[in-house]
Amino acid sequence: MLNMKTADLVFGLILVMLGCALTWGGFTMDRLEVRRIHPASIPGLVPMGLGLLIALSGVLLVATNMKVRASEIISVQKPGLLFQMLVICLFYALVMLGRIPFFWATSIFIAIATFRLGSDAAETETSRGPLMIKAVLFGLVMSAAISALFRYAFLVRLP
Amino acid sequence: MTSTFDYLSVALFELTQPMMLFHVVWATVLGIFVGSLPGLTATMGVALLTTLTYGLERDAAILVLICMYVGAIYGGSRSAILLNIPGTPASAATSLDGYPLAMAGKAKQAMTLATLGSALGTIVGIVLLVLIAPPLAAFALKFGAQEFFWLAVFGIIISGQLTSNGNALKGHIAGFLGLAVAMIGSEGIHAHVRFDFGFQPLSGGIGLIPAMVGVFGFAEVLTTIASRAGVITETTEKARKGPSNVFKLLSYRYTIFRSGVIGTVVGILPGVGEDIGAWASYAAARARSKERELFGKGSEEGLIAAETGNSAVVPGSLIPAITLAVPGSAASAVLIAALFIHGVRPGPMIMIDQPGFIYTVAIMLLLATVAILVFGVTLTPVFVSVLKIPNHYLMPIVFTLCVIGPYAISQRLFDVWVMVAFGILGFILRQMKYPMPPLVLGIILGTLLDKSLRRGLIISDGDILPFFTRPISAFFVVLVLLVVFGGLFRRRKQRFQEE
Repeated sequence: MLNMKTADLVFGLILVMLGCALTWGGFTMDRLEVRRIHPASIPGLVPMGLGLLIALSGVLLVATNMKVRASEIISVQKPGLLFQMLVICLFYALVMLGRIPFFWATSIFIAIATFRLGSDAAETETSRGPLMIKAVLFGLVMSAAISALFRYAFLVRLP
Repeated sequence: MTSTFDYLSVALFELTQPMMLFHVVWATVLGIFVGSLPGLTATMGVALLTTLTYGLERDAAILVLICMYVGAIYGGSRSAILLNIPGTPASAATSLDGYPLAMAGKAKQAMTLATLGSALGTIVGIVLLVLIAPPLAAFALKFGAQEFFWLAVFGIIISGQLTSNGNALKGHIAGFLGLAVAMIGSEGIHAHVRFDFGFQPLSGGIGLIPAMVGVFGFAEVLTTIASRAGVITETTEKARKGPSNVFKLLSYRYTIFRSGVIGTVVGILPGVGEDIGAWASYAAARARSKERELFGKGSEEGLIAAETGNSAVVPGSLIPAITLAVPGSAASAVLIAALFIHGVRPGPMIMIDQPGFIYTVAIMLLLATVAILVFGVTLTPVFVSVLKIPNHYLMPIVFTLCVIGPYAISQRLFDVWVMVAFGILGFILRQMKYPMPPLVLGIILGTLLDKSLRRGLIISDGDILPFFTRPISAFFVVLVLLVVFGGLFRRRKQRFQEE
């Protein structure tokens, strides 16, 4: 759980840093003098202005939050579940994909994700056994369907 | 010279071929399913379907996307009425009166009124699209670099202001972050690569589709898991009870017309979207209603106003999307990307390059409207059973499509990484109450803003004055100032009242 005021203060500071970095990046960007471009059309012009605007927004966000006495709580009902699902999703998208065939990666992902979400919704421990079988079958069938759809209907070379 | 009627006739003939009608049927029904399922939004549906229609012929692909868009916005009303869970944010206002009506045993009547309201709202929007878009495109030909710069600024500011739910600063910050993302990659004037940090895939910039699928798809999956929303309850019986009374609509004709116009105007405003259209129409209907006290307790007028308003936003949002390449809503932003993919260049030249295109889009919208009229009511029992699909089966599939969808377009794993990064960013920003449409609008308008500012400065030899003195530019400057100071004034007034 996180207080919205704290979150805004932290994000405001991040924005100030991001804005300064963007302005500095724009300022030090190549001005292409060798190509004799018009000085008003240097590539860093808009990033510089935008950086100042973002930094100013960060300052305003921090300043307006200083005045706030009470603020709402940012709460996630099941942070453990969310974190586990995030890890499962990231592992599938960033690690499995491209390293093992798409069909198997997707089957494994769908089965695990379905089981994890389903076991959270399941009322009793005993209902988890059948859920696991259902999740595995569901993963295999859906992965086959999605693979076939993209490979044969949309002619995509799957990762 | 070809007349409007000729263009409409040709479009109607071409789009009523059996194959096209088949596309209308499946895409609209799929759209209604997507819209009715809590956790799946219209924007997500259009973004995912864009990746699936890559191989289709131009008109068929755009038809499919428009049917998905219309169907999904309408579909949100099904779960809003039956379950009090808006299928899409656009249907939040619908649930205020739709669910009380369903609880009172008038679910079927509520769904019929919502269907007719949606259809009529879309039709009002279509008429305004045909009337407004061609002259707007002709007028936009007078736009120079300065005007396009201010148009982009206005888009970011108004979108941030209207979607921010009371804190305009957060809306504007989201827009600025979107603009910052657009600064990555090769810029449009000298082809200089910015902010790639020596990482080659970044030199092409951040793709709009992966970013949008992340922000509206993956972030939605995470939000649904985090909130555990969308747990379906049994309400099937209510769907079959209660008399329908189509003729009631006649007594609400002014509400329908007013909501249709409000929805279309909201749609024209850059990056604002259907939910604002619904709320604005609902508020206007309530302010003028003789049965004001019924609003929120099962008012048929309120239900019709909300549904007419959100549906009219769809054609309205396509007006600036087609004529100015500035999206009126998040879903129309995806449509712009899809238009580019299929070789259509939206913008002021559209009436010169492809003069019949606006009318083709109008007929596509009309076919989608007919489809929601037919399937919206007849397939209600099927929708009710689909609404029972548990999230633990649905969410892994949605995430898989979020992954493979962006990959299918470019066949680069980098786009999957972009989708994931934007999904996490979108989720965090949503939790902190930052609206997502300005972020996406910023990504889209960043290039236009950047090129227009520098082009304008080159034309005036570095002089900034023409940005303020050219008549249309000056008009936009006044608009931007009005929006900013109007917002500040409202906030101050609100604080004063609270104290």
